[in-house]
Amino acid sequence: MFDQSDGYGLLTKIIHLSTSSLPIKDKLDQMLQAIQDSFGADQTLLLRREKIVENGLLSRLALEKKPFWFDEESSFPEERVHPAEKDLLRLPFACLPLYERDIFQGMLYIGFSKERKFSSQEIDLLLLITEEMGEAIQLSHLFQKVEQTSSELAALQEMGKVATSTLKLEELLESVVKTGLKILQAKGGVLRIEDKTTKELKVQWSFGDYHHHLLDEKIAKRVLMTQTPFLLNHFQKDSPLLSILCVPLRTKEGVLGTLAFYDKDSDPSKFDERDFQLLLIMANQMSFAIENALTHYETSQLATEHEKRVRELTILWELSKALLTTVKFERITQMTLTAITIGAGLGFNRALLFMVNEKTRFLEGTMAVGPDNPEEAGRIWRYVSQQKGNLSDLVGQLHLPPEKNSTLNTIVKGIQIPLELEDCILSKTVLEGRPFNVRFPQTEETWIQTKCDRGCHLSVEVGCHIGTHLSRDPKVYSFATVPLWGKGKVIGVILVDNLYNQNPITDEDIQTLTMFSTQAGLAIENAILYRNLEEVHQTLKETQTHLLHQEKMAALGKLSSTIAHEIRNPLVSIGGFARRLYRSIPEQAPEKRYTQTIMIEVSRLEKILSDLLNYTRDEIPAFQEVDLREILEDSLSMVSEKFDDGKIQLTKHFAEGLPKVRGDHQQLLQVFSSLFNNAYEAMKGKGELSIRVLAISKNGSSLVRVEVENTGSGIDPENLHNIFNPFYSTKDSGLGLGLPLIYRIVTSHQGQIEVDNRPGEGVTFIVTLPSAQEGDKK
Amino acid sequence: MKKILVVDDEESIRLLYKEELEEDGFSVEVAKDGEEALEKVSLFKPDLITLDIKMPGMDGIETLKRIRDLNRKLPIIMCSAYGEYRQDLTTWASDAYIVKCADLSELKTTICRLLGLS
Repeated sequence: MFDQSDGYGLLTKIIHLSTSSLPIKDKLDQMLQAIQDSFGADQTLLLRREKIVENGLLSRLALEKKPFWFDEESSFPEERVHPAEKDLLRLPFACLPLYERDIFQGMLYIGFSKERKFSSQEIDLLLLITEEMGEAIQLSHLFQKVEQTSSELAALQEMGKVATSTLKLEELLESVVKTGLKILQAKGGVLRIEDKTTKELKVQWSFGDYHHHLLDEKIAKRVLMTQTPFLLNHFQKDSPLLSILCVPLRTKEGVLGTLAFYDKDSDPSKFDERDFQLLLIMANQMSFAIENALTHYETSQLATEHEKRVRELTILWELSKALLTTVKFERITQMTLTAITIGAGLGFNRALLFMVNEKTRFLEGTMAVGPDNPEEAGRIWRYVSQQKGNLSDLVGQLHLPPEKNSTLNTIVKGIQIPLELEDCILSKTVLEGRPFNVRFPQTEETWIQTKCDRGCHLSVEVGCHIGTHLSRDPKVYSFATVPLWGKGKVIGVILVDNLYNQNPITDEDIQTLTMFSTQAGLAIENAILYRNLEEVHQTLKETQTHLLHQEKMAALGKLSSTIAHEIRNPLVSIGGFARRLYRSIPEQAPEKRYTQTIMIEVSRLEKILSDLLNYTRDEIPAFQEVDLREILEDSLSMVSEKFDDGKIQLTKHFAEGLPKVRGDHQQLLQVFSSLFNNAYEAMKGKGELSIRVLAISKNGSSLVRVEVENTGSGIDPENLHNIFNPFYSTKDSGLGLGLPLIYRIVTSHQGQIEVDNRPGEGVTFIVTLPSAQEGDKK
Repeated sequence: MKKILVVDDEESIRLLYKEELEEDGFSVEVAKDGEEALEKVSLFKPDLITLDIKMPGMDGIETLKRIRDLNRKLPIIMCSAYGEYRQDLTTWASDAYIVKCADLSELKTTICRLLGLS
């Protein structure tokens, strides 16, 4: 039986346990154990409300709100026992309902295997115990509620902090996922945002493990579409539990995306209702923050884009302004290429300009700007970065001295590409009139296309340069070409690359370059027109000078011919009679020498007179087919008699089968006799005269070339540029009209005269005349 | 003996030519202008004529035309102070054209050539 002290002990123990800090489950377990031990019971249970069978005995008893004990069959209402209760409810037993604030919580059941009588004292004790247990449960409920509310508050506070801490989208998304992971104790989390234009649901941020599973995507899409949260605790055979918690990120305008968490870090790994509620609160709060951040992100993207455009336009404007400062072709092209390569401009490493020659249908390398090697590149970049002032001034004033004679510039100036060369990227750019961005031509085929493989220096010298000088694989050489548009036609090509810093050439780069080259193209075309205008102007000026000269000569000629007779006839008489006197005077007489002096002086005057008359008489050549060989022989015999004293060695080399020349016999005779005469005079009686004649072909025309070489003293370089000018003579005798006349005759024959002067050694005059068949062609 | 008619308005030239050519064994007659030349051609019947171009009155070219009307085969050497009509005259009328020079060797060579003398 049970005495009073035992009852006290039990009650003390129960109260003790009730106020202890043990978790509620342990509290109740230990209480039940203490009851079982004190009463010597076989089974002590706390039946929770939900475990009690409806319409059974226990539920009926619970309504009575008082303890019951059944120790004899007579008082036991067996008919009320529900079949499900039959096993439990065997006599004797006691049961006491537990109430917390008038809400039924459960039933304390104490069962015995042998006969047992309950004293009223024991019943009182049990009543006290149940009251205490009820309070303990109530306390624990309260505690749980407080704990939950405080953790929710903490989570919300944390989320709030995150939401207000940043406007940077990436940071925010990262914080959202990380905080969610912490609050929900999940193993992984994913935030998805719907792309407004493509309607595609994209993973924006993920953290930890998450299921790259088709199911996962499907769930996210469903949540987005239905705007309904989703909780799945999925049991799979032979694999860990799959638990997913996915909520929509709702805003006023609709759904932004989804936030999902995976696998609670607990055992079993499953999310409960509370997690679900927490996530919902979190998602609601974060949606607005994310929406703001998204708007901010889009706005700043747009702002950046605008800023870039404005910068580009500013650059283009500045560069165009610079181009307006000059009309000189050289300056314009130099400025264009500088603008393309300068860092503050378009910033390419190198720029090459090729212009279309409409007459020859060739692309001609015109100019290149760019360093020859990385060291020079660095030097130039440093130099340019130190320059002050706005871009247009910079482009206009910048002179990079090493570039003018750079290897690249020299190479480019030597490049000539037929426009019809199909494989060449430069020709293609002109013919198709569009830009090409050749990014890393990886395959051999594209590389060959780029390098044309037909003796084009572009790849071999400009591109392959990379292979040999920078030990880089030429196959990874990237470059771009843009056409240079004039008015309605492509007038050239600009090639750019980033050889040294290897920055990729983007499509935007090409776009900017195209915009700029449109401006530059017009400026360059204007410069070309201006240059042509200048050339025409120059020609006009020259023609005017020439006409004036001719007029002067005509006047001089008229004057000369009138006085010619007046002087010539007396000269002939004086000279003629002097000769007669000379013959009649004996050898030793002093008069012989006087007479000779008269003769020589008369000859000299006659020579001057005929030079003057010949030069001023602008005779129209009477063209006929002439044999140059014959003319040369005749001219030689006319002159050589005068000098024939055996001290001058004469070598003639006349090539076989020389074509005939179209010319005026008399005038050509004059040309060559004058040249031979000059040669003999230059050698002062001693030396070697070589005459070589050969047929040559130049630019597809057939020509005859005559070289008259002497071993005299050559022409003083000071006088060289004047030798074809009339009245410029260094000789004591003569008016200096010999070479000017030769020049005039040769040019009137569509020929050329050149001088190869070797001061101190001799001089060679080279006369080139078109053959007779060339004349027929015209 | 071959007969040569020298036509020139300059007396000194006429004298020089006459003396030089006579010394070389020719019979020389002179005329001071075109009219006189035409008369002398009929009277003297020269084998060759040297004819100055620029003369007062009838000039050498007119005289040449008139003489050719009388005699198409008579050798005529045109003598001038300069070579302005060389091309035209040698192609259609005269047999030779000489620019006057104190050295008479060219004239003499031409005379001998035209008369078939060595």
